[in-house]
Amino acid sequence: MSKIIEKLQVLSDAAKYDASCASSGSKRSNQNKGLGNAEGMGICHSYTEDGRCVSLLKILFTNHCIFDCAYCVSRRSNDVRRAAFTVEEVVDLTINFYRRNYIEGLFLSSGIFKNADYTMERLVRVARMLRREHNFNGYIHLKAIPGASPELLHEAGLFADRLSVNIEIPSEQSLQKVAPEKNYPDIINPMNYLAEEKAQYQESKPKVRKTPLFLPAGQSTQLIVGASPENDLQILRLADNLYQKQKLRRVYYSGYIPIATDNRVPQVKAPPLVRENRVYQADWLMRFYGFSVDEIVSPQNPDLDLEVDPKLSYALRNPEQFPVDINRDDYERILRVPGIGVKSAQKIVSSRQHQRLRFDHLQAIGVVVKRARYFIQCPGIPQTLGQSQPAGIRAQILALDHSRSSPQMSLFG
Amino acid sequence: MNIYTYDGSFEGLLSAVFQIFAERIVPVDIIVESHNQLGLLDQNRRVATDDAKAGRVLSALDRKSDGRASLLVYKMHLSELPQFEISIFRFIKTIMDSRQGDVLGNYANPYIAEALRIEKMIGREVHRMHAFVRFQKSANGIFHAAVNPDFNVLPLIGSHFEKRYADQRWVILDTLRHYALYYDLESTNFIKSDHQLLASLCTKSSETDWRDAKEDLYQQLWVSYFHSVNIQQRNNTKLHLRHMPRRYWPYLIEKSLIEKNRSVRDRKAS
Repeated sequence: MSKIIEKLQVLSDAAKYDASCASSGSKRSNQNKGLGNAEGMGICHSYTEDGRCVSLLKILFTNHCIFDCAYCVSRRSNDVRRAAFTVEEVVDLTINFYRRNYIEGLFLSSGIFKNADYTMERLVRVARMLRREHNFNGYIHLKAIPGASPELLHEAGLFADRLSVNIEIPSEQSLQKVAPEKNYPDIINPMNYLAEEKAQYQESKPKVRKTPLFLPAGQSTQLIVGASPENDLQILRLADNLYQKQKLRRVYYSGYIPIATDNRVPQVKAPPLVRENRVYQADWLMRFYGFSVDEIVSPQNPDLDLEVDPKLSYALRNPEQFPVDINRDDYERILRVPGIGVKSAQKIVSSRQHQRLRFDHLQAIGVVVKRARYFIQCPGIPQTLGQSQPAGIRAQILALDHSRSSPQMSLFG
Repeated sequence: MNIYTYDGSFEGLLSAVFQIFAERIVPVDIIVESHNQLGLLDQNRRVATDDAKAGRVLSALDRKSDGRASLLVYKMHLSELPQFEISIFRFIKTIMDSRQGDVLGNYANPYIAEALRIEKMIGREVHRMHAFVRFQKSANGIFHAAVNPDFNVLPLIGSHFEKRYADQRWVILDTLRHYALYYDLESTNFIKSDHQLLASLCTKSSETDWRDAKEDLYQQLWVSYFHSVNIQQRNNTKLHLRHMPRRYWPYLIEKSLIEKNRSVRDRKAS
């Protein structure tokens, strides 16, 4: 009894540096009154004290590893406790956690033991047993082990909702330095293979009546931010390429956490959380707000502004694009206003068909007006602001943000 | 001053709305009979519940709103917010008076906005139930959970759990409102909290008796998992609390077990 708890501790502790926890986007529904349902939105069942969501049972099959990647806690040369699950143990944990509504499914990764195929085969065996023997329709995310054979990847794609190969280091040059046994082709080739397979299944879908599900939730990857010298321009260009060419659903970014001393990676005191947050915001701008990489960062400004978010930064750099007329301009332009998100923009466009929108309507709709007010035009907007120059607006917004985050000053000191 | 009173049921409320429209009277308030505290000048208009009239109100609403407004009104009813009845009436009036299509798309209308705001609150609570329900397995194989949601959302969560746990019997008990959802492998039904099925599950005196032999193990595994996936270098209590407000902790095994241990430890220390 205590042995399985110990294994779970070791192998979940080692898996937690993978940022991915999504369980949305699959189309797998409950079949034949079995267990589980992965259609629709995923659910975060809990939140750890670092504020991250717990949606899946995220574990390594084993943390024994023949590789020695400097950024990784499970690297061969690191002195940590090692453990390995059996296939049955992983299946049993998944089913019993799922039945109690703790999780949406399983995220199974692994250290590389013996070789790529041997490792991949174990992961596939877990997924096969869950699907075939337990009629499990919950979410399964498997790691595609770099260098695994196409046959195994294909089988994994038939059982899993999502596969991911982590790039981790955002340039080939840096990767070679910190992970000598890894190379870009070993990572990109499985991605390309899986993208092509998925495309083929999708193509045959209208013609073949019973086309099986193949990776219904697609692929994802992770890039570590701050473990190597790449700037944000390089990182975002790489991400953009992965979205376009490899058709990835998600790229995750993980601020480098100094997990152990290895002189191939920089010695940092705390993870670069602000930078990680800015990169995520930029990623959102590319995926949901119609921004291109070049509009967010450029060779002149290759790094994201840490003080203000990239959308505000864009607006301040391009004052000629504003103000946007709330009652006239099209959806795409409204979406570019700082303080207006996708939902607010949709509500604006839908409501203005019924009536002319005033400033107080925007507040009710959910627009962050203290940000948006500098960049919009509509009736009822307070005119006493004074500041219209980018530098002044920036200072005012920063002052507002600052006053919110610091404790209130007492009036009578 | 016209005050309409009804029996507290959803159908009763809709019957009142029907009558208000028929009488072309502007109501001051709509209240449940037992809460009836009439002032000197108030005129009590008691409404008899009529399922057929209630149905006519719902279908008229749906004709005007692409089938969306009736569910919205039902959710407002489940919110149990103060004076939700008059909010419902104003919302229905707005829909029925509208001439343009897609009336629900007008977020600038205060009554529509109010209805959508309540719907959002209900949706959030439904989502939290989907997330935070924690089943415990009992010796007879039934998985059961106890909750006390902010709004009366049990009627909205059955199908989610039925689709997900089609092969296990489960019960979700609302300890505040004293009724439960019970899925018996065929269908999901409401049962009262004095149902004998729940009586056998809720005997606190012999706490280990009713539980499955391995229930403790899986709870321990879950709690241990919850702690080992935390990254201490990134601790963020504010964010943690925003996602998991304290009022839900009592039924979250991963939080309540810690609290329990902590209080035992404190007692020992003192």
